[in-house]
Amino acid sequence: MKKHDLIPFFTVLLSLVLGIVVIALLGKNPFLAYYNLLQGSGLAPKASYAGHKGMITDFTSFLNALTPMLLASLSVLIALKAGLFNIGVSGQMLAAAFVATVLVGYSELPAVLAKPLVILIGLTVGALVGGLVGYLRHRFNINEVVSTIMCNYIVQFVASFFINVFFVDPVSRQSKNIGAASRLTLVDTVVGDYKMDIPLGILVAAAAVAATVFLLGKTTLGFEIKAVGSSSRAAEYAGIRVGRTRVLAMMLSGGAAGLAGVTYYLGYFCSMQPRVLASTGYDAIAVALLGNSSPIGIIFSSFLITVISKGSTYMSSTAGVQAEMAAALTGIILLISACGAYVRERLDRWKENR
Amino acid sequence: MNTIIIDGLSFALPLFIMAIGGIYCERSGVTNLAIEGLQGFGAFCGALFAVCIAPYFAGDSPVPFYLAMVFAFLGGTLFSLLHAMLCIRFKANQVISGVVINILAMSLTEFMTKQINASIFKAASNKFVLGVSARVTVPGISSVPVLGAVFTNLYPFEPVIALIAVIAWYVLYRTPFGLHLRACGDNPHAVDAAGIEVGKVRLIAVLVSGALSGLGGICFAYSISANFSSNIYSGYGYLAIAALIFGNWKILPTLGACLLFGFARSGGYELVKILEMPSSYQDLVMVLPYVLTLLMLVFFGRKNHSPRALGVIYDKGAR
Repeated sequence: MKKHDLIPFFTVLLSLVLGIVVIALLGKNPFLAYYNLLQGSGLAPKASYAGHKGMITDFTSFLNALTPMLLASLSVLIALKAGLFNIGVSGQMLAAAFVATVLVGYSELPAVLAKPLVILIGLTVGALVGGLVGYLRHRFNINEVVSTIMCNYIVQFVASFFINVFFVDPVSRQSKNIGAASRLTLVDTVVGDYKMDIPLGILVAAAAVAATVFLLGKTTLGFEIKAVGSSSRAAEYAGIRVGRTRVLAMMLSGGAAGLAGVTYYLGYFCSMQPRVLASTGYDAIAVALLGNSSPIGIIFSSFLITVISKGSTYMSSTAGVQAEMAAALTGIILLISACGAYVRERLDRWKENR
Repeated sequence: MNTIIIDGLSFALPLFIMAIGGIYCERSGVTNLAIEGLQGFGAFCGALFAVCIAPYFAGDSPVPFYLAMVFAFLGGTLFSLLHAMLCIRFKANQVISGVVINILAMSLTEFMTKQINASIFKAASNKFVLGVSARVTVPGISSVPVLGAVFTNLYPFEPVIALIAVIAWYVLYRTPFGLHLRACGDNPHAVDAAGIEVGKVRLIAVLVSGALSGLGGICFAYSISANFSSNIYSGYGYLAIAALIFGNWKILPTLGACLLFGFARSGGYELVKILEMPSSYQDLVMVLPYVLTLLMLVFFGRKNHSPRALGVIYDKGAR
């Protein structure tokens, strides 16, 4: 069993080797490119820095990008444990962030009140949207894959309408920037000689991961969720109320997605682009898989995927490899990791035969 | 009224052909969330080919367009091999395979478009510019009121799609192969017992899905955006999935769903124009098809049932 937990590492390794081959075929230095990824994420020192910048500022802005990815993957994971596919993380993110932006982001509330309120609203709105999806599944037998896709579009266009009509910034064509008091990232904070972006959301994310570990491992609800996910029939036979468990799991999943939304749109960014959904919600499905569907595993997998995406800008400017290469590399990692179950089965059979 | 029908059809038909591909795939028991990625990759292949051969043809020649369709068809098939390999050979989770293929298609085509533009065409651009395809009006029938609009200002791909759709319907419901395919989705063990290889039937179904998705993708690239760029990934594939589930995995009801999406969309745009509302109100109208779908599912969804073996990896030894 222990040995099989290494499979994700091997898939990543294999993908990175494939990436080396591709970059080398393009005539660029693959090792330099990979090192650039680390440099761009603040995990290795760059040759030179602009004023008030350094490795530590790169690293905090990396954490800033990591936060929503981690929370979104957590959201997918919770739903997955209950045997549900939450394809609608992106929509839940936007819904939560939109409400938080309108209610708190444009208000004059002091930071002490505004920041907790943003988090609370994110959690609530996300949970409501997620709960609706769960309820539709339970009450009307509507497949959650369809209802989440529909919800994504509805949220996207409704938010886009309100942004364009009421909250648009005529220059950027995005929603007006939110006030600094409600932003979950402390931008350009002077610490010593550095000016850095401090993401408060990473604390929220850490707390959410810890809460999920506790929920799934130590509580009745967690057990029920896992039971429904493994076999809803067996769970029903054991007296677990399957429908209620599914609705609760979707509410928790939506809540995590809502948190991802506020840390993304009111932290990493400070505005919303009309008619665009963040790709984070879709990437998170694969990140959750790569993390072996365990809350601790997704810390590593979202870390890796964020290093690749965050470092890609620096890589393209230094090594001359197109930044889109990073996304392609992510795709290859995810593709190979999707075959993990097959490799596991083969290993089992090989062991039995020995 | 005519505009609503004309624009509605030109949106609904490519959607329909992708949904038919999805029906083939899902009726054989393989969940297909990869339509979005397949249509994008197909469109990429078609567009790349069209751009490469464009200099050899006159500007208004329709030949590059038809060749692009062929290559989109092939490109979609090629990429769907990946989905087939993951789902059938490697027994990966089918939903995850679909999502991964979407991510991969998006990043790969974006990367290659930029790379090819930079190295072959020496241009820093992230899209392939295609011509707007010419439109035809069938003389005679087109002057019939209301119904005539169906034959007015047709994109050349519309009759092609209609033809393929009829063939697809015939194959699925009237041939032994279609029967085997549908049986694979409901009771694969029975198919196996009858001496037919489940994996092979499913492979063909996935490939058909890829081919038809690619075809739908290039049609969208030609009709809506007149170029290939990452804009092709704006959710047509997911909409096709919604249409086929809405249509209860049957071809004719799915056509109804696609037409509903198409007409709700074009009708909404027309309404905004007639009432002289600012263009941002279009967004509100765009919500219509999705809200409608959800409501219809709430009222009629309980009768819907997916193929029984959908998403279940075929295991010979399972009981």
